[in-house]
Amino acid sequence: MNKAVVEVDSLVKQYGQLKAVDGISFEVYEGEVFAFLGPNGAGKTTTVEILECIRPLTSGTARIFGYEVTRNEDVKEIKRRIGALPQEFSALDKLTVKENIELIGDMYEKHLDVMEIIKLLDLEDKTNEKFENLSGGLKQRVGVAAALVSDPQLVFLDEPTTGLDPKSRREVWVVIENLKKLGKTVFLTTHYMEEAQVLADRVAIINKGKIAVIGSPQELISQHGGLKVLVIRKGDKKLADSLQKRYGQTTMNGNGDILVKIDDVDELWQMMTTLTEMRVGKDIEIQTPTIEDVFLKIVGGRITEEGEFKQ
Amino acid sequence: MKALTIFKAVTKNWMRSRSGLFFSILFPILLLVVFGAIFSGIGGTSKYDLFVQNLDLKAADGEPSDLSLAFIEALNSTETFAIKDVSPSENATEYAREALGPLGGSMRILVISEGFQDDLINGTLKVRIGISYDTLNMYYWYFEPYMDDAQKAAFQQGLDQMQQYNATIPDTKSSLTIMVDPSDQSAAIIKSIIASVANAFNYEMIGAENVIEFNETSVTTTRYSNVDFYIPGITAAFIMTNGIIGLAATATEFKRRGIIKRLSITPLTKMDWIIGNVLSQALLNLMLTAIMIALGWVIFNVRVIPDAFSIALILLGSIMFSGIGMALSGFIKDVEAASAIGNAIAFPMMFLSGTYFPLELMPDYLQTISKALPLTYFSEGLKHAMIYKNPEGVYLNMLIVAILAVAFIILGSLVTRWKEK
Repeated sequence: MNKAVVEVDSLVKQYGQLKAVDGISFEVYEGEVFAFLGPNGAGKTTTVEILECIRPLTSGTARIFGYEVTRNEDVKEIKRRIGALPQEFSALDKLTVKENIELIGDMYEKHLDVMEIIKLLDLEDKTNEKFENLSGGLKQRVGVAAALVSDPQLVFLDEPTTGLDPKSRREVWVVIENLKKLGKTVFLTTHYMEEAQVLADRVAIINKGKIAVIGSPQELISQHGGLKVLVIRKGDKKLADSLQKRYGQTTMNGNGDILVKIDDVDELWQMMTTLTEMRVGKDIEIQTPTIEDVFLKIVGGRITEEGEFKQ
Repeated sequence: MKALTIFKAVTKNWMRSRSGLFFSILFPILLLVVFGAIFSGIGGTSKYDLFVQNLDLKAADGEPSDLSLAFIEALNSTETFAIKDVSPSENATEYAREALGPLGGSMRILVISEGFQDDLINGTLKVRIGISYDTLNMYYWYFEPYMDDAQKAAFQQGLDQMQQYNATIPDTKSSLTIMVDPSDQSAAIIKSIIASVANAFNYEMIGAENVIEFNETSVTTTRYSNVDFYIPGITAAFIMTNGIIGLAATATEFKRRGIIKRLSITPLTKMDWIIGNVLSQALLNLMLTAIMIALGWVIFNVRVIPDAFSIALILLGSIMFSGIGMALSGFIKDVEAASAIGNAIAFPMMFLSGTYFPLELMPDYLQTISKALPLTYFSEGLKHAMIYKNPEGVYLNMLIVAILAVAFIILGSLVTRWKEK
């Protein structure tokens, strides 16, 4: 296992009676993409901003590269080594893409060649375009470019795809995948299940200020995701009753689809043989559990597209 | 230096913003041009509209009397009034209201009463005879010891006849009636000018001459125009609005959009951020001053030249008002509120600090309030530096502005949040 670049222990952030972050502990290892997955108000941004040294903590400890986020001397060191894309990133409207990236770069003692970063983020066509004229996806890419211009070892990306259309979201995903290839450690926060599952090496599910579970997406799914499901599209009640008698765990959903939970591969083969014998010529597919199922099982609800928690 | 990077970035951002340029530079220039056009006399001097109804008509032909016409001519000769005749048969108020129309200016009507000429002649005769009588009477008492009885009796008889004749002259006075709109700001000036013309007319009729000579000279060594006097005031006022409205709105917008938060994650310090913004304001304000004066030179032939004191004051003023702008942005969350609160502070201050109107014209309580306003000292300091060339006036105002600049920039930096709660 790589060394830990972020070490958080019993971190608490309290506003009056409200605990926005409630005693969380975790580590982020060098070179990994670590995702904080949770609904709005779960404590994701609060935690990230504490780690970025722009929000004080109430209790507990947080170290970045071994430096304490609460010590003034250490804060300077931390700020030199991290890059960040804050939630709802914005920049100076009338400055061009290049000027905005340069502005952030000039805040550091040294920075990478701005044109190299622009090339890396595939923004060459927009180099001299004013920030105000860019689409949402391009603005996020400028934000990522600004986060990388100081050549940081650790990059915080706070909700990098919120509010973006699906195409722009995929573009940002590609950028994040490339960051991993460059060997950067990425701390990602998101309320999109798929994003966490696709991009993260490890996911921490956070809700109401507490971490519910941490692990790789595969680990979490295998431990908490439940069984695979065989789906027969537009089946009839007779077929459903027949499958229920033989295999149990069969239900019908509102669309008239028959859902049969599968315990193992042997059971799957048996089921397929049965369906062939019964000459069932319907659309059949096998659904594997996702992080969403993990979240549902652990937290007891779902997250809407807007990031709200729904039971 | 990071402050310089911030200075360059925010200045560039501002210079590419049309609304920023308009409110910071073009609007003050427009105001200067408007003030200049009004007060410089270029394109012809404006005159006060005055409706005159002459009711003093000759019995013989119904034409206006000679003296009433002479009085109107005397009013005309002041070149102050645009006189509009109202027929004696008209209702003067109705006529003036109709003539001015729905968007018309202030209503001012001068009515020359019937019998104006006769009353003037009678009054003049009475005064002249009275003066002659007093003069002769004085001589009588002076020379009495040297006169014989016959001379005394003849003198006395003459005096008695004069007195008797004077008693036959009706004791009346010519009357002029001026009707003005109570809200008319110029009413006092107009009444004063008409009174002066009437006095001069009086003197002329009785043959009196001015024995007091009235000389006018400037308090400044250079001969300045009216527009020169407006330049320090307008400059000061807009340096104030650039800080209190402009910077407050911009900094609030940067905060709302997370730009300040983004910068705070970098090694940039809060002080660098504030210095960068103050430098940007200082440059903007020096540019504003230079453009105003250059434009004044070209259009209105102004002669004010900013010296080292003026530049130092502009820099201190920029710090002072940037501090207020920063402090406001620290308290306020959205741009509309920042702009509204900035306006609510800036506009009363603009009018209560003597930048457009002399403080002496204000009631005592407003003058007291004006002494508590930073713009008063900044504007006065600039006037002393640019116009009066009076170092003592500059020092005191500059000292006050410097103290306030330090106080407000400290307040601004304390209130500017570089860390979330």
